[in-house]
Amino acid sequence: MDPKVAALIAAGFCMGVGSIGPGLAIGNLVGKALEGISRQPEAAGQINTAMLIGIAFAEAISLYALVVAFLLIFVA
Amino acid sequence: MEVLEHFYNKVIIPLKIGSFDISITNLTVWMFAGVGFFIILLVLFSIKPRKVPGKRQVVVELLIDFVRRGICFNMIGPKDSDRWLPVVLSVFVFILANNMIGLIPGAYTPTSNPVVPLTLAIIIFITVQITNLAKNKVKGYVQTFAPPSVPKWMYVIVVPVELISTIAKPFSLFIRLMANMLAGHTIIYVILGLITYFRSYFIAIAAVPFAVVMMLLEIFVSAIQAYIFAMLTALYIGDAVHPKH
Repeated sequence: MDPKVAALIAAGFCMGVGSIGPGLAIGNLVGKALEGISRQPEAAGQINTAMLIGIAFAEAISLYALVVAFLLIFVA
Repeated sequence: MEVLEHFYNKVIIPLKIGSFDISITNLTVWMFAGVGFFIILLVLFSIKPRKVPGKRQVVVELLIDFVRRGICFNMIGPKDSDRWLPVVLSVFVFILANNMIGLIPGAYTPTSNPVVPLTLAIIIFITVQITNLAKNKVKGYVQTFAPPSVPKWMYVIVVPVELISTIAKPFSLFIRLMANMLAGHTIIYVILGLITYFRSYFIAIAAVPFAVVMMLLEIFVSAIQAYIFAMLTALYIGDAVHPKH
């Protein structure tokens, strides 16, 4: 196989597999946060801020995959 | 289609000192624009400070209070937080200014270039190491890598893990900020690029509103990334000032 083609396939695969973990993490986070809010609606503000920070952390993991994908496309 | 075209550096005024290339590129121009705009805004808002703050002064006090109460008090502790407030506040405002200036269409985001976040991360890494060494002396510094609460034979595993985690901290800071800034802009570019790719204006009916929504998300992301960077800086400094073991 041509190395460039292999790199492109690897980049697509990298992004796809790399999104699984953060997807599960964000789903879990938001679900648990909603559970907490429905139990205690007056704490919604605090739960929201903590949830958004957690989402930003989980999202960063898929962005690492994105960086690797860019490296595969443009450098390899 | 060049997806990353708007992240290329273009030299505007070539400058050289010896073998160092310090040319003025579009990165430096937009960085000066962002930081300058923020400085002018903050100076205008805090001119003639009064005991009872007016409308404009409240904005500046809110910003400082947010970093002081929300980040420093929680992460460093109430005793040392005022001493470290200038570092955390300048990191927060600098990153916020650089993230926000990139949202102007046609602007270059300084934080999307690997160099800027990497420099910031290395500055913080060195600050934390020197603080740790000065505060806990050599014995305490060594104990951060080889905690005494762990049995001696476990040092074979613990010391390399601690070393790697120390070195990985600035890298995770750097890649998190860079990738977040890079990704949002690239997504907007790709969505709008679909219009020229399919050569049809009908795509714009779907693409433009979606790009607007992504742009709103970008405002949120650029604020939250500045907050996370400042928070992690405060966390690492707090770990160095008050060692746990």
